[in-house]
Amino acid sequence: MDFTPSSIPMRVAAATKTITGCSTPHSRRHITMAAAALTAVLLLSGCGGGPASQGTENAAAADPASAANASGNLNICGGKDASGIYRGTAAAFTKENPGITAKFTEIGATTDEARTQAVQRLEGKSTECDIFLLDVIWTSEFASQGWLLDQTKLVEANKDRLIPSTLETTKFEDKYWGSPFFTNAGLIYYSKNRVSRPETWTQLYADAAKAPGNGYVYQGKQYEGLTVNFLELLYSAGGEVLDEKGEVKVDSPETRKVLDFMAEGLEKGSADRAVLTYNEDATRLAYESGDYGYERNWPHVYRLLNATKLAGTFDVAPLPSFDGSSKASGVLGGWNLGISVHSTNPGAAVSFINFATTPEWQKHVAIDFSQAPVNEAAYSDPVVLAKMPFAKELLASVKGAKPRPVSPVYPQISQAIHKNVYAVLSGTVGTDEAVKKMAEEIKTAKASF
Amino acid sequence: MTLKTLSPGPRPAGDVRSKRRTSLGRSGLKASGTNVRDRAERRLAVRMTAPSLILMALVAAVPIGYALWLSLNQYSVRTAGLSRFVGLDNYSSALASHEWWAAFGQTFLFAGLSVSLELVLGTAMALLLNLAFKGRALLRTVVLLPYAIVTVVSAITWETMFQPNLGLVTNVLSALGLPGGDVAWLGEQGYAMAVIVLADVWKTTPFAALLILAGLQVISAETYEAAELDGAGKWQTFVHITLPLLRPAIVLAAIFRTMDALRVFDLPFVLTRGANGTESMSMLAYSQLRENRLIGEGSALSILTFLTVMAVSIVYIRFAGGNIREVAKEDQ
Repeated sequence: MDFTPSSIPMRVAAATKTITGCSTPHSRRHITMAAAALTAVLLLSGCGGGPASQGTENAAAADPASAANASGNLNICGGKDASGIYRGTAAAFTKENPGITAKFTEIGATTDEARTQAVQRLEGKSTECDIFLLDVIWTSEFASQGWLLDQTKLVEANKDRLIPSTLETTKFEDKYWGSPFFTNAGLIYYSKNRVSRPETWTQLYADAAKAPGNGYVYQGKQYEGLTVNFLELLYSAGGEVLDEKGEVKVDSPETRKVLDFMAEGLEKGSADRAVLTYNEDATRLAYESGDYGYERNWPHVYRLLNATKLAGTFDVAPLPSFDGSSKASGVLGGWNLGISVHSTNPGAAVSFINFATTPEWQKHVAIDFSQAPVNEAAYSDPVVLAKMPFAKELLASVKGAKPRPVSPVYPQISQAIHKNVYAVLSGTVGTDEAVKKMAEEIKTAKASF
Repeated sequence: MTLKTLSPGPRPAGDVRSKRRTSLGRSGLKASGTNVRDRAERRLAVRMTAPSLILMALVAAVPIGYALWLSLNQYSVRTAGLSRFVGLDNYSSALASHEWWAAFGQTFLFAGLSVSLELVLGTAMALLLNLAFKGRALLRTVVLLPYAIVTVVSAITWETMFQPNLGLVTNVLSALGLPGGDVAWLGEQGYAMAVIVLADVWKTTPFAALLILAGLQVISAETYEAAELDGAGKWQTFVHITLPLLRPAIVLAAIFRTMDALRVFDLPFVLTRGANGTESMSMLAYSQLRENRLIGEGSALSILTFLTVMAVSIVYIRFAGGNIREVAKEDQ
């Protein structure tokens, strides 16, 4: 978009080679010289998919019809398979499609490590992985780099069975770059004997301040979790970070209102200052001590909480609206399935995605692996309800939730958010200054080369 | 090396000098005739050291050179493989940023606090370990335990211990009726840095102690006997004999510890993620390089960190060198 004319040959060369998956030996420094020759070679050999101007325009697309005759091996790469869903789905898929052997390869023990490993493989044009498990916040970054096959046609074909909000996390520059596999959304756990069900955030904070044992615990440490906790409140209050055109809209009355609200909550005792050091796990442990009334956490906490002495004392609610005047909202988590542009078996990958998103398999996603399905019908299935009694609340949270700002520079945007929100909560910077700085930093991030 | 040549007895400095005279000079007196042999010797020296010099160049200079090259470019986060040469832009924007100077100040604050505490406590620990008592060998091994624990693991332990209402430290404080039991230690400006310094002191004091202990052991018993004969008391002996003779060992420990402390990463990364005035230079470089994939900007920050650490060690070595000569003079 903002490239100087002299860089165009380089860009064409880079884009062409990324999209076609044809690797040609050359060094980065000689890329300009190689550009013309490379393009010619690619066109002559029939390897090229036509000249591309940008990572996402003219990107190669996954063909829904290619699944029909697919066979061979399929490798799915992702982070640690804690719930067993990756291996489980691969095994079930292989059983149903004897022509294809799907297997899961763990490429990193943590989410960060998995991202680093995926980036390294994609930069190195490795053909090892056909499908990458993508954290919802990586999708736009990977798409802009030209690392993923365009899945728009595939998503259009499967649209009826997917919850619309989950699709938004795979959308970038009007195309879909992945298919949602399982989703995630925040929930409020509350002690039903001490505090009332949260209908609005203002009511939750007021109740939490009423008695010492009513306090609210959430993720307030300076990291991605704080970005999520802040955005949940901001979205519920009708605010946004980027608008549909990608313009920075964070310097708004809503942002100020939410920041003041959170800071006041700490001052007036709705939340303990201890939350400034809490990640998900510390939040859970604090709530398990029995000294708090409300907890914001992910669905997996339900099972853990039921294994403590607090079993039976708590209930689950979807994230509330801010003060009743706006719609309840939240932030989506979860994982998408992206097809690598270097995949040697995209047909099998399409077939796997079709299988993983079927309403039937989505029930297993909840029943066998305790993950949140991306198919709405699954949430009302009796077996799912028996396994996940809070399915109705979870569905409400998922349907109301929105993706985090969709941008290839999301990590920088998130940093701008959690650093400045933290500064306000810890009392080192005033709201107005922090909001202006946040907007400024996000603008700078968006202007990244 | 400095320890060996310096510490034992009153004449080591003289030894160093006479040795230097013989090795360099042999020729000094005989003048021009031996110049040829001198040159031949020098050529031999170059040939003998060449393999290790080349190896060092490959191991150290190549990666540094590569990082330097990366830092002069910008790499697109939007389009794979796209880059442009920007000269020193990455440096000027880093040096103009508030983040860099904040991290710079915080890193030096951390290094200053932790290294001075470690040297004081390390000296005390070394003096205790130097006493003759039963089970001394075992104790010397045991005190090294904190140093043997992976920093990230110990950081996670410290994080849990300082968790308000749940942690060991906060619970003990509450039980004793002391203030601080309900403080979010890692969530407050000042306290957070204190915990990080504490965690570092706990972990690396044994290392400083061991270096200083080595220095203690080469101070000869005769020196102490002489002091005793002259009627020096315990304190006088410590101030006028032990400390001056220990100085090279302490300086060495200070160099090692300062260089480490200026590169601190794991403690603040685990404990605070850089919140509450604890972001270090290395953390800033990491977040640009890995989290944000701003390879050029991140490399510039790494190079700046590297230059800072190098500058500090040069100052130290100069100071230490002067110190060594001074000690030698006193000895004569």
